Amino acid sequence: MNIDVIALAPFAVLAAAAIVAMLLAPLGDCRPAYIAAAFGLVCAALPALVRLGAGAAVAGRATGGFTALLADDGLARFGIVISCLSGLAALAFLRPSVRAPEGAALVVIAALGAATLSAAIHAATLFLGLEIVSVASIALFVLPLTRPALEAGYKFLILGGVGAGALLLAFALSYAATGRLGFAAWSDGSLLTALGAALLLAGLAFKLSLVPFHMWAPDVYEGAPAAAVSIAGIASKTAVVIVLLRLTAVSPPEPVWTGGLALAGAASILFGNLLALRQTSLTRMLGYSSVAHSGCLAVILGSGAPIAREAALFYLAAYAPALLAALCAAAAVGPDPHLNELRALVWRRPLIGAVLALSLVSLAGLPIAAGFLTKLYLFAALLESHAWALLGIAVVGSALGFFYYFRFLIAAFTAEPGVEAQDDRWTRPAAFPFPGRAVLLACALLMLVIGVYPGPLIGVLRAAATASR
Amino acid sequence: MALTLQILLPFFGGLACIPAARLGRNAERWVALASLLIPLMVLGLTCLGGDPGRWIAQYRVAWAPSLGIDVIFALDGLSALLLAVSLVLGAVSVVISWQVHERSGLFHAALCWTVAASNGVFLSFDLLVFAFFWEGMLVPSFLLIALWGHGKREAAAIKFLVFNAVAGLGLLAAVFYLGATGRPVSFDAFVLQGRHLAPITQVWLLLGFALAFLVKLPVPPLHAWLPDAHTQAPTAGSILLAGLLLKTGAYGLFRFPAMLFPNGFLALAPYGLALGGFGAVYGATLACAQTDAKRLVAYTSVAHMSIVLMGICGGRHFAMTGAAVQMIAHAFSASALFLLIGMVYDRVGTRDLRKLGGLQQTAPRFAAAFALFFSAALAMPGTANFLGESLVITGMFQGNWIFAAVALVSLLIAVVYATRLLIAIIFGAPGPAAVTQDLSLGELAPIVVLAAGTILFGLFPQLLILPLATAVDAAVASLDAVRP
Repeated sequence: MNIDVIALAPFAVLAAAAIVAMLLAPLGDCRPAYIAAAFGLVCAALPALVRLGAGAAVAGRATGGFTALLADDGLARFGIVISCLSGLAALAFLRPSVRAPEGAALVVIAALGAATLSAAIHAATLFLGLEIVSVASIALFVLPLTRPALEAGYKFLILGGVGAGALLLAFALSYAATGRLGFAAWSDGSLLTALGAALLLAGLAFKLSLVPFHMWAPDVYEGAPAAAVSIAGIASKTAVVIVLLRLTAVSPPEPVWTGGLALAGAASILFGNLLALRQTSLTRMLGYSSVAHSGCLAVILGSGAPIAREAALFYLAAYAPALLAALCAAAAVGPDPHLNELRALVWRRPLIGAVLALSLVSLAGLPIAAGFLTKLYLFAALLESHAWALLGIAVVGSALGFFYYFRFLIAAFTAEPGVEAQDDRWTRPAAFPFPGRAVLLACALLMLVIGVYPGPLIGVLRAAATASR
Repeated sequence: MALTLQILLPFFGGLACIPAARLGRNAERWVALASLLIPLMVLGLTCLGGDPGRWIAQYRVAWAPSLGIDVIFALDGLSALLLAVSLVLGAVSVVISWQVHERSGLFHAALCWTVAASNGVFLSFDLLVFAFFWEGMLVPSFLLIALWGHGKREAAAIKFLVFNAVAGLGLLAAVFYLGATGRPVSFDAFVLQGRHLAPITQVWLLLGFALAFLVKLPVPPLHAWLPDAHTQAPTAGSILLAGLLLKTGAYGLFRFPAMLFPNGFLALAPYGLALGGFGAVYGATLACAQTDAKRLVAYTSVAHMSIVLMGICGGRHFAMTGAAVQMIAHAFSASALFLLIGMVYDRVGTRDLRKLGGLQQTAPRFAAAFALFFSAALAMPGTANFLGESLVITGMFQGNWIFAAVALVSLLIAVVYATRLLIAIIFGAPGPAAVTQDLSLGELAPIVVLAAGTILFGLFPQLLILPLATAVDAAVASLDAVRP
C-alpha cells in the first residue's frame, strides 16, 4: 500500500502536537504547552500551504484520495491551512484571556478535527471530524467558566447533539438505500437518499449556523472567549463548507439539496441581517453577521453556478481575516464590548480602532478591503445561475448590512456628544499583549492585500477548486 | 505612469497626512496640497505632450488575469478636465480648511482619498476597476460627513452611504453580467464595446448602470440623500460632494451608456429626458422654498444636474457638448457657493436666510462673490454655466421642443430662487446675524481660482469645447451607428 507521507503529515503532526500539549499542560507554567501547540500548527500548515501554492502551477493534474477516507486535494489543503491559521489566532487570543493550561491542547484538537473534516470523503471521517471539532469547541466555549460562557456551551452542546443525531440518521438512510458510506453514495436518486440528504443538510446547516439552526451563534459569539469563536466561526465553518462543496459535486438528490441550501441561505441572509440591525454589542452583532455571511455562502453553494466553488473558497479566505480582526479588536477592548465602549476607539487606541474600522468595511463589502470582492463573487455566482430572487435577497441583505456595520464604524470614530474621549493608551497597556497585536496586523495586511491585489490568491483558489473532487 | 500617479499620489499622500499631523506646523496640510498639486502639474504636462488623437494617454497592466481584470486607464479631454477639476477642488478644500484642527490628519487623509478614488473613476476603462473606485469613494466621503459635519451628521452620513452603496450594487451586478457572460471573460470597456448585445439585454444592463449613476447625480426621486448630506457636511465635504461626487455620476452616464449600450440608450433616452425635465423643475421649485442657504444650493444642484441628464439623454452633438460643459461649469459654481455659505456660517453660526442680510453694506467683497456665483447659477451670459445650459437647450430643440421648454422653465425658476437669495443675503438691512467681517485676502484666493474657471470658460468657450470634442464625438458616433 502506497501512502503519501507528506499528505498525511498535517494530521499526524496535529495529533502529535495535541498529545504533547496535553502532556505539557500539568506543568503549571502553561507556556511550553502553548509553544508546542503553536509549533505543531505551523508545521501542519506549512506542507499544506506549499502544496496548495504549487497546485496552482500544476493545475489540472488528477489528485485523488490517498485512502478511501481522506482526500488529498486542493480543497483539503485549503481547509488545513485555514484551520491551522485560525488555530494559531485562537492560541494568541486564549493565552492572555483565559489562564487555562489545557486550552492549547483543545485548540490543536479542534484544528485537527477541522482538518479531518475538510479532507473527508467518507461518512466515517465526516462524522469523526465534525465531532472532534464540536467537542473541542464546547470545551473551549466553557473554558472561562462564566455564566454566559456556560450558557453558550450548553446551547451548542444540546443543539449540536440534535444535529449529530440528524447526521447519523442521514447516513443510516443512505446506507440503507445504497449500502455504501462514501460521498459517492449520495448521487443515488431513491426516496430514502432524498430523505437522508435533507437530514444531512440540517446537520451541516447547524454547524454553519444557518437559519433555522442559528440560535447558538449570537450567544456563543457574545459569551464564549474569542479563541473559541475563531474556531467555531472560521475553522469549523470553512471545513463544513468544504464538505458541502464535495457533497454538491456528487449531485445529491434534487431539489432537496440545492433547493434546501438556497432556501436556508436566503432565510439566513434576511434574518441574520435583520436581527443584527438592533444589536448594540459588537460580538453579538458579529454573531448575527456570521449568520448572514453563512447564508451568503449557502446561497453560493446552492446556486449551482460553475463559478460557485471558486467563489465559496474566496469568500472563506476573505471573510476569515475580517472576522478575526473584528474579534481580536473586540477582545482587546474588553469582554462583550457595547457600542458605547467603542466610542472614539480610533483615537484612544489607534491600531485597534483602525483595524476594527477596516474589518467593518470589509464585512460590509466595500473597497479597499477584501470584502468588496466577496460581494462581487456572491453576485457573480447568482448572476451566472440566473437566480434573480436570490440576487434580490442578497441585495437587500447587503443594504441592511451597511446600516449596522457603519453604525459601529461611526461609533469607533466619534466620541459621545459632550464627552471628551480620553486617551487610555497608556493606562491599560497590559490588556493587549503582543500575540494579539500580531494577529491584528496580519489580518489587516491580509484584508488589504486580498482587496487590492487578489490575482495570485484567485489563481491558487481556482486551481484548488477545479482540481478537486 | 503619469495616469497611475493621479491616483497613487493622492492616496499615499493621504496616508502620509496621518503621521504628518503629529509633526505640527500644518505639515499635514502641506503634504495634502503637494499630493494634489503635483498630479495636477503632471496632468498638465501629459496633456501638453500628449497624443492629439482620440486618447491623450493610455496605460494598461494585467491585474488579476484569472478573473479577466486588467487595469486600463485612458485619458481624453473630458477625463483630463474632470481630473483637473477634482485636483483643483481638492486643493481648494485643503486651503479653506486651514482652521480645521480637530483630527486634521485623518481629515486630510479622507479628503485626499476621496480625490484619489474619484480620479480612478474618471480614468478607469476596466469596468470592474471602475466599480472598485466607484465604491471606494464612499468610505472617505462618508467619514468626512460623519466626523466633521454639523448637526445630525451621523444620520446624514449613513443615509448618504446606504443610498449610494445600494445603488452601486446595481452597477456591480450589471458590470459582472456584462463582462462574464461573454467569451472570453473580459471587463475591458473597449472589448465590451464590440460585443453586440440584444437590445433588451442592453436595456436591463443599462438600468443597472443608470441606477448607480442617477443616485449619485442625483435625480429625483433618487435624490433624498443629497440635501441632508450637503447640509450636514463640512464645507470641504460639500465642495467635494458637489464638485466631484455628483460629477462622477454625470461622467458615468456620459461615458458608458452610449459606449456600451447604444440600443438600450436610445430606448431609454426619452424616459431619461422626462426624468431630467422633472428633476430640473422639481429641484428648482424646492430650492425656492428653502430657508437654509446650504439646502437651497443643494436643491439647485439637483436642478442643474438634472439638466446635465437631459443633455446626455439628448444624444446629439449640441446637447451632449452642453452636458459636458455644464458638468465642469457646475463644479466651479456650486463649490464656490458652498464655500461662500460655509464662510458665512463660520462667521455668524447660521445659514438661515431670514437672519442674514445686508452683506453689501457690511462686507462688499463677500457680496460681490455671492453675486458672481449666483449669476453663474442662473446661467448668466459670460459664465461657463450659460454656455452649458444654452447648448443643452439648443440640443433639446434638435429632438423634442417640449423638453427645451421644460429646461427653460427650470431656468426661469432659477431666476426666482437666485434673486430671492440675493435679496436675502446681499441687499436689505443687515439682519440679526449680519456678517461684519469681509473676506480676507487669504480667503479670497480660492474664490478667485473658482471665479477664474467660471469666467474664463464663459468668455472663451473654445477652451472647453475643443478638448471635450473627442469624447462627445465618440459618444454621438456610437449612438448614430445604431440610430434608425
